[in-house]
Amino acid sequence: MSLRLVVNGEDRVSRAEPLTPLVDVLRDEFHLTGAKVACREGFCGACTVHIDGQPVVSCLVPLGMVEGREVRTVESLAAAGELSPLQRIMEEHDVVQCGMCFPGILMVLTSFFREHPRAERGEIKVALVGNICRCTGYERLVDAAVALAKRS
Amino acid sequence: MPGQNGERFHAATSLTDAIAALADRGSAGAALAGATWIMRAPLRHERRDLSYVAISKIDELRRLDILDREISIGACVTHAELASSLGSLPECRALAQAAVNSANPAVRNVATIGGNLCASAFAAADLVPALICLDAELEIEGAKGSERMTVKRFLEVRTGIGPDRLVRRVIVPRTARRSAHIRLPLRKAGDYPVAIVSLAATLNPTGVVESARVAVGSVEPVARRWEQLETSLVGHSLDPRRAAEQAERFCGDFLGREGVEAPGWYRVKVLPSLVRRAVLALQEQS
Repeated sequence: MSLRLVVNGEDRVSRAEPLTPLVDVLRDEFHLTGAKVACREGFCGACTVHIDGQPVVSCLVPLGMVEGREVRTVESLAAAGELSPLQRIMEEHDVVQCGMCFPGILMVLTSFFREHPRAERGEIKVALVGNICRCTGYERLVDAAVALAKRS
Repeated sequence: MPGQNGERFHAATSLTDAIAALADRGSAGAALAGATWIMRAPLRHERRDLSYVAISKIDELRRLDILDREISIGACVTHAELASSLGSLPECRALAQAAVNSANPAVRNVATIGGNLCASAFAAADLVPALICLDAELEIEGAKGSERMTVKRFLEVRTGIGPDRLVRRVIVPRTARRSAHIRLPLRKAGDYPVAIVSLAATLNPTGVVESARVAVGSVEPVARRWEQLETSLVGHSLDPRRAAEQAERFCGDFLGREGVEAPGWYRVKVLPSLVRRAVLALQEQS
């Protein structure tokens, strides 16, 4: 059995079992290792990707339910080799520490800023409740997100 | 055992297709809505070897219709869709609050109302007590027709409801009531609640409670109404302190479940505070 899906704008086919978590297909079959595997229970947010534009935890999404849908991973944010405004401001603020949580945070904030470009600090924190940073670097990344909102 | 054609996963395209596929699989099959509960089965040391019928692409199950007298919510409506669609309806505030505060945003984009109701081992489901306090009903669809039942009845029978039947929609009556959903997670967000109190009440023009529904979730294995407390609220104005005192009197109604996140006694102990906050929330909805 093969399943078709669109990943970062490209048609892809997977022969994995339909209940295989999407994150495993992305990493092991398509070699898109941006989404990270950590808790596998939807708590940490490290595996967040977009499905049809909405952020979801890809550890809890079975491959079979993604057939025919559009998946975007963190690799798509700088697809043309140029960082997105969100990525640039994170770099300016020297936010990245170990990098485990960071791809998920970028995917959540990319979606969030699309709908709330001028968000306040409190709103940004609420948007990130599903993203756990084991380095506890929350304040610096929220500072960077606030700075981006102020530029809008 | 997979379906007759050997499939272990079938993406149903219609309700009829889903029911036929479930009937084909019998006790070896199960419906799959948002999948957030079933995908975690290995972490709970449970088997995940059934043949699954995915129902999330069935348009009818994704509909949410706000009608004059009721709100019809398809089983595959997500928590995020519930929160955005019901947020402006005062009579459904408890359900909107339950939806917007559960889990985290990325889970809310996937987890469904039907899944929340059907996950029988999930004591901390937010939507269940909210639906109980709003007197919601469920429509169950099967090969032999449909059946409508209260949430309370569904919770009693859900584990034996039969392999060829599934929750089609949830019906919430629209009445002039106030409602609130108060939850206590150990962290501010992204955590399962230790205890939940959902409250709905109708008031007469002088502010006296004419009817009350209180539902408690996460304290015991299955959410349920707190009828003694409901009775004690009727005939009085909304008074948070008095309501908390009454809750303290009747706390013996509950036997808290033990869990790694909280002992049973603690879940019961916090109930009066949650009741006080729920009544306060209703007071503020003038």
